[in-house]
Amino acid sequence: MISGYIIVWFFVFALTILVIKNKGYKGIKKSGVFAGNQAISIGRKMPFALLTAAFIAQIVPIEELSHIVGPESGLLGITISALLGGLLPGGPMTSFPIALIFFAGGAGAPQIVALISGWSIFAIHRVLVFEAPTMGWSFVTIRLISCALLPILAGLIVELLSIDGLNVPSALAF
Amino acid sequence: MNMSKSDYLFVFLACFTGFICFFTKGSDSFASAFGYSFNLLVLILPTLVGGLLLSGLIQQFIDQDKINKALGEKSGFSGLIFATLAGVITPGGPFTSFPIVFALWVAGADIGALVAYIAAWSLIGIYRLVIWEIPMMGMDLSLLRFFVSIPLPILAGFAARWLVKYLPLKVQDVAKK
Repeated sequence: MISGYIIVWFFVFALTILVIKNKGYKGIKKSGVFAGNQAISIGRKMPFALLTAAFIAQIVPIEELSHIVGPESGLLGITISALLGGLLPGGPMTSFPIALIFFAGGAGAPQIVALISGWSIFAIHRVLVFEAPTMGWSFVTIRLISCALLPILAGLIVELLSIDGLNVPSALAF
Repeated sequence: MNMSKSDYLFVFLACFTGFICFFTKGSDSFASAFGYSFNLLVLILPTLVGGLLLSGLIQQFIDQDKINKALGEKSGFSGLIFATLAGVITPGGPFTSFPIVFALWVAGADIGALVAYIAAWSLIGIYRLVIWEIPMMGMDLSLLRFFVSIPLPILAGFAARWLVKYLPLKVQDVAKK
């Protein structure tokens, strides 16, 4: 996981130099304000979002569900995961912790990919709160139909690649 | 501190699910939920801070007018690729991306480009990948998913263009109202 930290901070460092060169310190200040505003908004929600995800993971028997979408479950498992993904509540702060428990609980890589993609594409809360009010329902309908098969497609590609031995992060060990 | 409605929603959800967890699964489950969320928090904090700074820095190089022009009505295949790239680098959550989608729509972007943009932002947006997905799901799975999903927004864009041609759904007029 350390490598992930290094990559991110390397890019922060490189871009900071780029911004200073092109836009001066004014650009840095603007970026800081943008990042700060987002941080405040995320910071207020995050502890509660993470707790909600952890509680849901305790209440819903996710580990048993993971076996249904195990590596051997094939296209059916991929389809179930994609649909399940659409029902995952909230943004990345709540969805990824739940997805991680599926992953650690024994779900297959194609199925987890379908789950995360299904959540990305269908995310019910996002459609209701943001997309439908700004874009209207006929737009939403066309977008959902055009994207409907993508999560299953993503899962199938991973299945075809048949990669195993993916590392599961250790957040569950406490 | 100004709390918005959605902030309260998260507080409510945490209390509600915590209540159910405590009374149906007991205090042990309740306590281990705290352990899990704390571990996650520690795991994602270093990248979260870096990712937020990145989103602010990239913002300095985005020229909204240029993007609007490149996604004009008859933008063809290159429009879809451009829309995908724009979606990938759009920082922030739905509160930043949907206003952009709407602005693009008003500026004359076609349905294919808009759908490709949303699909790209939601499937292969680099901020979500870096800030949330890699720290929580691990490098292996996150990158596998990312690379597999790269062609998908373009497919969705083509599907959307085809759909408006052959289905009686009219969306292009809505933005002009």
